[in-house]
Amino acid sequence: MSHLIAKTETALKGLILFLVAAGVLLAAATAEAAVPGISAAAPATGTNSITFNLTAAATFITQPDGEQIYSWGYGCAGKATFAPPGVFDLVGFCPTAQVPGPTLIVTEGQTVTITLTNNLPAAAGNTSMVFPGFNVCAATLNTTTGACTGTATGVAGLLTQEAAPSGGTVTYTFVATTPGTRAYYSGTQTDLQVEMGLYGAIVVKPNTTPSGCSAIGSDPQLLGHTDYRHASSAFDHSATCYDREYLFQFMELDSRIHRQAETQVAAIAACNPTTSALPCPATLEVSTEPYHPQYYLINGRSMPDDMDADYAPNYPNQPYNGNPHMHPGDLVLVRTIGQGRWQHPFHEHGNHVRILARDGNLILSQTDSAKLAGRMEFTTDTYPGQSYDGIFYWSGKGLGWDIYGHTLPKVVANISTATESGNTVTVTTIGALPPQIVPGAKVTVKGVSPDGYNGTFTVATTGGAGSTTFTYTDPTSGLAPYTIAPVAFLVPFGPGTGIVSVLTSATDPTPCIADANGYYTQASGAPLTATNYYEWCADHNHPLESNPAGQVGSGGPATQFDDLIATNGLWYNGTPYLGPDAVNRSRGPTPLPPGVALQNPPEESGIAFMWHSHNEREITTNDVFPGGMLMMMLVDPPVFFIDETL
Amino acid sequence: MVIGKLSLFYSVLLICVTGVTMRAQSPPPKNPKAQGGGSFMVQCPTSTVWHPGSSALGYDPTRQEGQYTGPSTVSVTVDSVPLAYTLSGGAIKCQEISGGDGYMTEADGNQTFMFSFGPLSGMDLIKHGQPGTQLAADFNNYYNSPFLPSACANDAPSTCQSAGPASNSADPTFDPSRPISLNGAVADPAQIMTIGVMNGNLPMPLAAFDEDDEFFLTLSNVGMIMRPDLFEEHTVHFHGYPNASSYYDGVPDATWAINIGGSATYYYLAPDAGTYFYHCHITPPEHLQMGMVGQLYVRPRQNRVPTGTNLYNAIAGSNTGGAFGTLTGPSQQSDLRTACQNTGNSNGTISPDILCSTPIPAADTGATQKVDPFAGVDPRIPAGTPFKYAYNDGDASTRYDIDVPMQIHGFDPNFHFVGMTFNPEGFADMKDKYFLLNGRSYPDTVGVPGYAGGPAASSAAANFTATTVTDWTLIGTGNPDPNSRAIGTEDSDGRTRFSQPLPSLITLIQGERALLRLSDLDVTEYQTLASLGIPMQLVGFQAKLLRDQAGNNLPIVSNSVTLGGGESVDVILDSCLVRAADMSCTTPLAPGIYFLYTPNLDHLSNDAENFGGLMTEVQVCASASSCAF
Repeated sequence: MSHLIAKTETALKGLILFLVAAGVLLAAATAEAAVPGISAAAPATGTNSITFNLTAAATFITQPDGEQIYSWGYGCAGKATFAPPGVFDLVGFCPTAQVPGPTLIVTEGQTVTITLTNNLPAAAGNTSMVFPGFNVCAATLNTTTGACTGTATGVAGLLTQEAAPSGGTVTYTFVATTPGTRAYYSGTQTDLQVEMGLYGAIVVKPNTTPSGCSAIGSDPQLLGHTDYRHASSAFDHSATCYDREYLFQFMELDSRIHRQAETQVAAIAACNPTTSALPCPATLEVSTEPYHPQYYLINGRSMPDDMDADYAPNYPNQPYNGNPHMHPGDLVLVRTIGQGRWQHPFHEHGNHVRILARDGNLILSQTDSAKLAGRMEFTTDTYPGQSYDGIFYWSGKGLGWDIYGHTLPKVVANISTATESGNTVTVTTIGALPPQIVPGAKVTVKGVSPDGYNGTFTVATTGGAGSTTFTYTDPTSGLAPYTIAPVAFLVPFGPGTGIVSVLTSATDPTPCIADANGYYTQASGAPLTATNYYEWCADHNHPLESNPAGQVGSGGPATQFDDLIATNGLWYNGTPYLGPDAVNRSRGPTPLPPGVALQNPPEESGIAFMWHSHNEREITTNDVFPGGMLMMMLVDPPVFFIDETL
Repeated sequence: MVIGKLSLFYSVLLICVTGVTMRAQSPPPKNPKAQGGGSFMVQCPTSTVWHPGSSALGYDPTRQEGQYTGPSTVSVTVDSVPLAYTLSGGAIKCQEISGGDGYMTEADGNQTFMFSFGPLSGMDLIKHGQPGTQLAADFNNYYNSPFLPSACANDAPSTCQSAGPASNSADPTFDPSRPISLNGAVADPAQIMTIGVMNGNLPMPLAAFDEDDEFFLTLSNVGMIMRPDLFEEHTVHFHGYPNASSYYDGVPDATWAINIGGSATYYYLAPDAGTYFYHCHITPPEHLQMGMVGQLYVRPRQNRVPTGTNLYNAIAGSNTGGAFGTLTGPSQQSDLRTACQNTGNSNGTISPDILCSTPIPAADTGATQKVDPFAGVDPRIPAGTPFKYAYNDGDASTRYDIDVPMQIHGFDPNFHFVGMTFNPEGFADMKDKYFLLNGRSYPDTVGVPGYAGGPAASSAAANFTATTVTDWTLIGTGNPDPNSRAIGTEDSDGRTRFSQPLPSLITLIQGERALLRLSDLDVTEYQTLASLGIPMQLVGFQAKLLRDQAGNNLPIVSNSVTLGGGESVDVILDSCLVRAADMSCTTPLAPGIYFLYTPNLDHLSNDAENFGGLMTEVQVCASASSCAF
């Protein structure tokens, strides 16, 4: 019965939260992430400690195939204080059981005290928490000497002191000695209890702001937008500054184990020893082997649920999402933990990740401690129980073309004929000459055959207003006449037609001035409102498209395909480019984005990358693709405000 | 009507490509015998802004790889817009692949259905185990062969080599009035279907190019003829491309995917050197398991510095007035794109790029570019070939002689059978039973039965008595083992096509260093490859040099390496035990056979056969004459 009650409670809670949050959710089509967690009210002056009151209890988690999976999770025994401060206060919740458990946000040097109450079904027996990387005391900790003396709390267990069933408690105390991201999980009957969901993360913030890192609230890279960081750096080290952060906890799930546990818990609870013909079982006999997972979870959710908001009301016991967004150039701290028994190679499309630390241990050069020595990986391994902190960024450097599709303002006219007399070329355009083509103007002729006609020239004469002809002097002579048949314009992606272009202004409307690193930033005079903040300037205005559909050739190297024989994705903004104004440079014959790009709407127009397990079987949900350990990362244009609470 | 349009389209292009303007478009000419319709469109420009041609660069980037002598800046006007480009040599490279289906042969004889990519350019190079990537001039020398591509090297070795044409099917689109071209692109829509349907390879065609190249990769979706119920798109995901665009990233959710009957061309400015790989990104658990996986690597510009150049200066020069190759000369550091101290923090101050590929070495070791001592000695290394490197290391620490691209994969025969027989596939129950190195399991990894000691690889022309072959691409550079012939598989139409052309046997002359470019695209589990006798020296990891930000090399010396799906490493296998300071070999490894195998012991199997699987040999021979090349 108990599980039925739990189910009803969570459903009710979900409904209430839905009513509270519905207005907020409807306001945006996409959701982002941050690293939500729980902290505590600011400690009293002079005390450097923090206390959490946690529970372990049974609940249900939901999966995108509709399954409600019986699980055990850590949760809050009372009101929680949410972190980062002021961000999730309205929408945040910490139920008595959630998967993963509450992310504990503490500060380096703090004494952390955690009291755990065992509210699991009695048949589950004892439970506990272990904190790899910390010296934990379940009695009285002397924070100076590290000595653990006095009467131990809880009851004796194998790995640690445990909380007895039916409301038993245990209290763990340790000093958060070093910064970083680490796991916590059950130290009791771990093959079953961790599988059932008893795991979580603890984030230790550094207690300094290293030189070169921007303090909370004063990071120019955030362009005046909200600062969602817990700290200015991952460690007490200048090479670990960051601008955004996300936390991913990987877990595989075998629902047969959960069904066994659910059935047995119910049977034990229902068994009356006075009326039962057989002896009532007292403990669970759940077989955790052979292990055969069907669900692959990031932060307790499978794709696409992981891309819903943090604290989305439809996941009352899975509050954390996996939905990274970033602006070009943001240094993004990726906090990752392998919580399951399997390894998962996680592929971050878009760039490499620099591993800063494993299990909170910063990896530095042996000869120069100012320099990093962790590897750079495009597929980051998670190991069972191990965490890593890494930095990812995306800047578009090295593409060879302008990711924004910038160009100088110009007009283009199609050429129908070109003839040469001596060295004077007479060009006739289809339609009237652009008014910018006047004697003395610089024009560029291209696509005209033979090639001697092509190049950049100074206009000698024109036929005047409304005319279709102009002349220029060409260094070669004896060129054959050029005539293009009008039928050529029917070819949907047909290049090879003569084009004359002339600038309408020599002023770049979106300048890119390189700073010392080659980017357009505050250091090189960029306003924080620049639509191309942090653009890679070496590729500024460099065209990509040679002959795109729609006859708007930009002069680049690549000819685009015919849109009519391609299929577009839900996150495709319809152009190769970044930014809402890039839609204006859409290369398709029809207005793009095609269909409904609700996941990346025109006002966002980010560019999307898939982050997923590359043991590709794991991007499925119970035999259905897509699902599992998969999320879409969006690089958003600087003008798009990334609201990480949505 | 469509044909008429396309004809006009191509003929206009033909006229345009002869110039040296910034025109980009130049598909190979249309075969007058074929005249197919459809939306296939192959492109490979002969001139781009980055590689504008001989008048600007002093070399022809469509026929020659440009040397690296530091960056230079050119100012050009593109469509009236004045622009500056930083040029560093390189070339225009192109490749074309089909996306469709096919069959491969397992080591136990089982013929396995695949979703797969096959070659539509560089056909003869691919068949001989080499990268199919070509210079534009070679690619645009369009395909023309009297015979359809076959696997004669496998199914009838003796007749293939001597009688040649007799064992092949006539190609109905052959135009005897034009020169034979076995490596040019298949550009005509009719030929794309004739050759592309069911020509799937495992792994998909090998691609390799150089830093500073522009790479145009055309994917033509020919459909899966064994699964007419499917209307699957395909894409190419260039796995690991740094700072990738989403547009060319191949994730169908994030961008576009090409439908059956169409082509699309992916465009990449070569990223930093390294061992990458590529695969289809449509329903990855299915399309990867079914075989749409392949290898791709980028060679460093350090290979292209003139002989005698100090390697340290070539990447660390300060560009303060000196000549290239001196400490004050132009270098990798004087181009912000490849310099190591850019990017970094949000304040705009100079700081180390946290993802910089090639930090300057901690010290100048004095290493200079030299001619490989095995050049002209090993028949696989043409005379005069300089040293090759895995990365722009500046200290020759990643130097090697022989490229060995090697991909780990696994096939679940049940999944493939279900996939061939129109049944829904399950993912959770996926269980690989074949474990593959370059599409082969032991004993096929060490050679095709009946072919050991066969005649030497013939030139492309030797199979035919017809007209001249006019390919400019050198054959013989870096082929790890030309003695290991392509495996062929008879497809359901009765034709035998080459299905697994890449060798997985490694042959080294004593003293040679192989660069094992190892990648894993298994979709179910981690795989370990171990080495008996030859230490594995991991110098690169996931397309990055193993070096800390302070410039200290951090190679990992071990006898095994473990990879998950979507990972790669660069491993030096050195057949020399002790080297002198100048890298010459003083104590070579004894000649003999050394094994690479998996300690995942259940992976040493070919389905029901409990002996085979993920295992191959490194054959070390005393001299070129004692090697079975």
